[in-house]
Amino acid sequence: MIETRELRREFGGVRALDGVSVRIAPGERRAIIGPNGAGKTTFFNILTGELEPTSGQVLLAGEDVTGRPPHQLARRGIARMYQRNELFEPLRAIDNVALALGASLGPYRPFTAPPATTVSAAADLLDRVGLASRHDATARALSHGERRQLELALALAQRPRVLMLDEPTAGMSPAETAHIASLIASLERTLTIVIVEHDMDVVFRLADHITVLHEGRVLADGTPDAVRGDRTVNEVYLGKVVA
Amino acid sequence: MRRRVALAGAGLVAALALVTFPIWSSEWESSRYATTVLRDMLVLGILALSLDLLVGTTGLPSLGHAAFFGAGAYAAAIAAQRLANDNLLIGLLVAMVVAASLALVIGIFAVRAAGIFFLMLTLAFAQMVFALAFQAVDLTGGSNGFAGVQRPRLFGLDFSAPDALFELVAVTFVLVVLLLWRVRTSTYGRALVGIRENERRMRALGYDTTRLKLSAFVLAGAVAGIGGALSGWSLRFVSTNDVGIGRSVEAFVSVLIGGSGTLLGPAIGATVVLFIERVLSSSIPFAETVLGVLFIVFVTAARQGIVGLLATAYSRVRR
Repeated sequence: MIETRELRREFGGVRALDGVSVRIAPGERRAIIGPNGAGKTTFFNILTGELEPTSGQVLLAGEDVTGRPPHQLARRGIARMYQRNELFEPLRAIDNVALALGASLGPYRPFTAPPATTVSAAADLLDRVGLASRHDATARALSHGERRQLELALALAQRPRVLMLDEPTAGMSPAETAHIASLIASLERTLTIVIVEHDMDVVFRLADHITVLHEGRVLADGTPDAVRGDRTVNEVYLGKVVA
Repeated sequence: MRRRVALAGAGLVAALALVTFPIWSSEWESSRYATTVLRDMLVLGILALSLDLLVGTTGLPSLGHAAFFGAGAYAAAIAAQRLANDNLLIGLLVAMVVAASLALVIGIFAVRAAGIFFLMLTLAFAQMVFALAFQAVDLTGGSNGFAGVQRPRLFGLDFSAPDALFELVAVTFVLVVLLLWRVRTSTYGRALVGIRENERRMRALGYDTTRLKLSAFVLAGAVAGIGGALSGWSLRFVSTNDVGIGRSVEAFVSVLIGGSGTLLGPAIGATVVLFIERVLSSSIPFAETVLGVLFIVFVTAARQGIVGLLATAYSRVRR
């Protein structure tokens, strides 16, 4: 579904990514893990179009989409959940989701309000992520956990082919973490999911394939069991977290 | 539902009262003067309302909006003189097309910048338009201005009498308010608000925000052009003041004092600004200073403007 070839990205002489090649199959649930500064966020931002790689290629369903801007990638089926919430703060939760749904209809309708189907679809999505009682609350008024749920609702509203989750459980209580993890686990199996996460319980629960990044390179790549048993991975990363 | 009917009713009454102002004020001693001032308030109101589509709705602080107002004013005046056009609709169309085209050219560059850079770019472009108007003496009259602008007609209606021209301005104002209200509440307007609140997310959702911002810039420019045409017909005079930074600032101050993003706020702000400049200035000294102080008070203490303050007060009273 997504393939990268020798992705490199430099920030003024600092190599954030140093030749990353991965293949993510359709319907796969891929976790990207690694210590801070390993290049996970850079990798994410390149896949979603917010950053251009210095060199290398990104292929989406076989099409070369390297360097395409975010809105074009979004229209080709990539949706993301931001690590730091990117919401429409003064708007109600339901209007947040309606904006996300409206993207596919096109915004150039200066004389008509969003159709009723958009509003009811937005309500359904809020119910689905567990915000059934919070439709009319502004994004600003939601708790941190609820804001993460709204983030997820925005991404799902795009009806994506690839869902990119940047630390979906960041800053959440154990109960909230469990809730959002089961939410993600319950998504359609046809949906390709790429997830960056520090909570290893969540990673091993959700992922069926794990890529370990370290200093801008792929350190290991395989099934959860294979990665868990990998010695170098344990030395540079897992050992410190899991042990 | 009942609230909507009440709102629509109140709007209709207000619009009728506005349009019939010369009739019901005719008993007043100063009716003629009041009609003239109100007419100019409505013209500045149109400019401020169009600017608010950028400032309040989309979050684009333009400090060069008079460029499009002036372009519309010159376009309608020049069309009347050179093309011997006295048709109202053609005059308005020419003003809109010229203003929108100028907005398209400037917008292509300006909307790529954000915040203070956008503000500086719009200011710089407007100054270029000002310099052009100043130097193209054959076309614009340069520093002398363009005097004796011919007022338009339409289907036998002649707008050269002061009251008839007031009607034209008032009806156009009401139509502009309706248009901008419809646009704001539409799918399109909501997308513009989305850009104001979080452009990054809008892009990630699949919106081409650069194109959306450009479209808003062009639409706002076209409406400003209508205001400019009405200004030229009102004063029978167009000058470089109409494209200058002074007019841009007047519009910007109107938006902020009245309340950006509040639909009618900018028009109310325009009323306040012109009241101080035209009415208060004849009875007290330093009226312009009063305006400056008022502006500072609103920017520092009441960002939501007059309409925002009223809305807050109303919701407190209800509770």
